[in-house]
Amino acid sequence: MSEKEHKVSRRQFLTYTLTGVGGFMAAGMLMPMARFALDPALEAGAESDFVRVASLDELTEEPQRFDFVVEQEDGWYSSEVTRVAWIYLANNEVVALSPVCTHLGCTVNWEGSESYPENFFCPCHGGRFERDGTNIQGTPPTRPLDVYEVQVEGDDVYLGGTVQR
Amino acid sequence: MLQKLYDWVDERLDITPMWRDIADHEVPEHVNPAHHFSAFIYCFGGLTFFVTVIQILSGMFLTMYYVPDIIHAYESVYYLQNEVTFGVIVRGMHHWGASLVIVMMFLHTLRVFFTGSYKKPRELNWVVGVLIFFVMLGLGFTGYLLPWDMKAYFATVVGLEIAEAVPVVGGFAKALLAGGEIIGAQTLARFFAIHVFFLPGALLGLLGAHFYMIRKQGISGPL
Amino acid sequence: MHRGKGMKFVGDSRVPATRMPNIPKDYSEYPHKTEAFWPNFLLREWMVGAVFLIGYLCLTVAHPSPLERVADPTDSGYIPLPDWYFLFLYQLLKYEYAAGDFTVIGAVVMPGIAFGALLLAPFLDRGVERRPIKRPVATSLMLLGVIATIFLTWESVDQHDWEAAARQGAIVEDEIDEDAEGYQIYMSQQACINCHGEQGEGGAAAPNLFESDYSKEEIMDIIINGQGEMPADLFEGSDEELEIMAEWIENDGEAPE
Repeated sequence: MSEKEHKVSRRQFLTYTLTGVGGFMAAGMLMPMARFALDPALEAGAESDFVRVASLDELTEEPQRFDFVVEQEDGWYSSEVTRVAWIYLANNEVVALSPVCTHLGCTVNWEGSESYPENFFCPCHGGRFERDGTNIQGTPPTRPLDVYEVQVEGDDVYLGGTVQR
Repeated sequence: MLQKLYDWVDERLDITPMWRDIADHEVPEHVNPAHHFSAFIYCFGGLTFFVTVIQILSGMFLTMYYVPDIIHAYESVYYLQNEVTFGVIVRGMHHWGASLVIVMMFLHTLRVFFTGSYKKPRELNWVVGVLIFFVMLGLGFTGYLLPWDMKAYFATVVGLEIAEAVPVVGGFAKALLAGGEIIGAQTLARFFAIHVFFLPGALLGLLGAHFYMIRKQGISGPL
Repeated sequence: MHRGKGMKFVGDSRVPATRMPNIPKDYSEYPHKTEAFWPNFLLREWMVGAVFLIGYLCLTVAHPSPLERVADPTDSGYIPLPDWYFLFLYQLLKYEYAAGDFTVIGAVVMPGIAFGALLLAPFLDRGVERRPIKRPVATSLMLLGVIATIFLTWESVDQHDWEAAARQGAIVEDEIDEDAEGYQIYMSQQACINCHGEQGEGGAAAPNLFESDYSKEEIMDIIINGQGEMPADLFEGSDEELEIMAEWIENDGEAPE
């Protein structure tokens, strides 16, 4: 039998088998390692705990700044980080806005600029948001401020993680 | 498509001679287990290299989580082993690979010794091989400390005391390795640097020399 | 190979313009049964590698790599052990003429001669004869070295108290209550700490305090009268303190409610 009678020569067959075996070895080695490296990206976002931030009678129609401390688990390192929320009452509903500007992540302030009352103002690029967190057209941000998940139990206001709108 | 890509590179860099040199170099019959089953003893060197590749890869991935600091080293190892998906496998590969590479290298050394393959003109390759052996033992010793658990710490204490027993330079050698009088933060940082940069660098250089000499001189003939 | 005048290059580079054809050598010219590296030999080599890899992965799955508790440099009760491939050296240093005043012999001279001879083997064994049977000195010295290494490793494994080591290294899940009154009393008794450790974790000479299930009365009895290797009458506090401490031990290191 000469090699010409076959569609696949002996050498081609060996080469295919060789790459197959090589691929198997590479997969066997690299698959666990790749999954290991990808773990943080594939891990579903952990539910954040609710933290008591304020009592109901402190809140007004006017957004007020509240600082609160949450326990943050970062791999093998746990620490306490301070978060900020702008909280106010709208039709007796508690609204808690994240102060992180949706443009480039600076911190916004309620009535942070004298020229724009009744607005959240970002000092970095002059981004502005309405009282309910909606971004004002014509300023850099392209989406509203994130809101915190809110739970009210009795007189206490608890905040959880932030949600994009 | 692949062929076009190959031609494109070949036109610019003339890689065909290199590739044909690797692909066409002949392997003699007496090292081929398909001809004589006893030739499996010639596989140990290749398997040592294979485990070495696994060690380098798994080690690279482990450093994605590991921190060489006495406060957090243990926590990070515990985390990657117990919390990260497949962490137990990747760390297991590195842990068992460290033992396997020693076993395979030991068998490879015995094969080379008992087939007399180190004789003229291959003396230098033997010397390089024994140096690789030392580097591997060094990698084992420095890597053992990194998880910073009880076993790691006390094995290193004993190891460094052995180093201290060397006359004249012993105290100096110990201080150099431990980074001071105490076996602690500085020791861990040093062992990490040695384990991850210095010894692997030396290892790659020696392996390159080892393989170059094998290609240059060919495999030693049958007994 | 083309040389001299008339050579053409790719652009202004040094790469010749004529391509070498990428075809394998004609293997019929090879003498005997030699094989090409790619793909023939490498395929066999990689098949061995693939089988090896499967075994290797099974090993990692079946036996997770061990991790003991975090290093505690103050814990003097721990029996250290190097990784297994250093055990032969570790064992060598236990023998009379390789330790103590002779540490230099055990730690430097003997390993130095052995490894030095290994490194310089080609220059010590210079004959042309390659078969092991034809060079008895080299072969027997190597065999002696291998047997000695295996023997020392074996002895070391045999002499090590693996169960005690596993106990000492185990990750202690439940912490003891260091604010408990019983612990304060325990910490004032140096005789107890010497063997049972600052956390009651035990050591080479004594077991973990909290692994046994004695009642308070039995614990007080053991402390007063001793048991096994534990001597009697080492407790130096009042009877009241003894009772509080026994309750604390009975309660696995937590203050009794």
